[in-house]
Amino acid sequence: MSSVIMTDSLTKQYGKKTVVDHLDLKVPAGSIYGFLGPNGAGKSTTLKLLLGLIKPTGGSIRILGREVNPKNRLDILARTGSLIESPAYYGHLSGRENLRVICTLKDVPVKEIDRVLGIVRMTGQQDKKVSHYSLGMKQRLGLAAALLGNPDLLLLDEPTNGLDPAGIQEMRNLVCSLPEQYGITIIVSSHLLSEIDQMATHVGIIDQGQLIFQDTLSSLHEHSKSRIVFSTDDDKAALKVLKQANIPVGISEKRLVLRAQKDAVVAEAAAALVHSGIGVLRIYEQQMSLEDIFLQLTGKQVSL
Amino acid sequence: MISSVIRQLSAERKKTRRRRIWLVPLGFLSFDALWMAWQLSHIKAGELADGYLMLFYQLPIMNTIVLPLMIAVIASRLNDMEIKGDTLKLLYTLQQPSSFFDCKYLSGVKYLFFFTAGQCAMILAAGQMWGFKNPLKIPMLFCHLAVTLSTGMILFAIQQTLSLISSSQIMPLVVGLAGSFLGLFSLFFPAPLARLVPWGYFAAFPCVKMDWDVDTRITCFYETPFPLHAFLAFAAAGIIIYILCRTITQKKEV
Repeated sequence: MSSVIMTDSLTKQYGKKTVVDHLDLKVPAGSIYGFLGPNGAGKSTTLKLLLGLIKPTGGSIRILGREVNPKNRLDILARTGSLIESPAYYGHLSGRENLRVICTLKDVPVKEIDRVLGIVRMTGQQDKKVSHYSLGMKQRLGLAAALLGNPDLLLLDEPTNGLDPAGIQEMRNLVCSLPEQYGITIIVSSHLLSEIDQMATHVGIIDQGQLIFQDTLSSLHEHSKSRIVFSTDDDKAALKVLKQANIPVGISEKRLVLRAQKDAVVAEAAAALVHSGIGVLRIYEQQMSLEDIFLQLTGKQVSL
Repeated sequence: MISSVIRQLSAERKKTRRRRIWLVPLGFLSFDALWMAWQLSHIKAGELADGYLMLFYQLPIMNTIVLPLMIAVIASRLNDMEIKGDTLKLLYTLQQPSSFFDCKYLSGVKYLFFFTAGQCAMILAAGQMWGFKNPLKIPMLFCHLAVTLSTGMILFAIQQTLSLISSSQIMPLVVGLAGSFLGLFSLFFPAPLARLVPWGYFAAFPCVKMDWDVDTRITCFYETPFPLHAFLAFAAAGIIIYILCRTITQKKEV
């Protein structure tokens, strides 16, 4: 699969602080690339670098097969759409008038407005002043503006930020439908693991400016080795018994967790507990959550 | 290239819908008209002969007082929509920041053209209505137009920059208001100091000077050669100021 975005050692420093650190992004064509990281990890800075809104300190960017430089930046970006941080809008104009301004700048026919308004389901609110829109409507208008001209690539920075649950669901459905219906590649950033889990086909995880994981979502889930949890009527005694029997076991999140997954070891542990007179209430397999994976990858607890 | 500029100017025009920006220069022109009518109605019939000279002497001073504020208001009306709507991060993916600055500037300067042309038309109209005896000298009218426009354009570049780099429009408007006062006071500053005050340049290239006799209390207006070299140096400095303003705006991270 060819890459729509490729960066090579992309770096951005502010003074001595490195915000984006030698990033090698590869966004496959037709994918929804979830760009995941805690707040302040460098997601927005990376997207701004891709759009040429800020100048990189080092490295290079290829978008849609062309190396981006100040001369061809706008030519390349003509085939992209973006929604960075909060939506951009003119509050004194109606939704339709806002899109007309963007149409003029993008040099696309005005009839495109009806198409994109249909996609974001805003045909009914197009004549209302944008200053009277809710945040969710502004976000959808921002997405409509990004979709004008039928771009090959969309860059969405935290598109569900500040939306209510219904708005989040709607935006998520919209984003998910775009690659299939219109062949658009999407890079969507978020600090919410669950959101990326529900939208993305590929994932890049950034922490303190460094890309610590990049692959398909399924590959990320493969990292999530399952573990066997024992629920007993006396976990402390059970831990002692299993340790004495040389079975690899530990306490995690106040639960008795077996560190091996072989059936024979599970059977041996269960037998040891039963023989010791400890009541085994439940034995179950637990998948690692994305939070756990993130913790495993970064080696530290983050607020996600 | 040209089609791109036309598109960007067209986008700027579409953005100003419902902003009623034309009311700003119209309001200031109305104020000018009232002031002119009051002024001309209160002078002696004999002094009306030199009515054109009097207007060419007094209007630049009047412009020094009112135009900095008008320019600040127009620049603010045009640019606060970009700040409020956080649009620069979108616009800079569709147009070069320098091109955005230029087109925004051109779309603002047209209001200044409108005001200046309106003021020149009012001078002609006043001559007809009050029957100035001495004829109008067209080069003088062009000098007035050139000085008002060039000074206004430089101030507009400064105000546009302030409006684009400030998160609130209070600061640019305060600068405009302060510029009005500073410009007026600069007319009484020593020349080297007055040169440092851009708001005072509306009245810095006079075609007409005034002589007021303390004993007879008679005011006499007379022609003076237009300081062309000083004006050209000022225009060159204006280009440098414009480039500087554009660079400052471009460097602002969005």
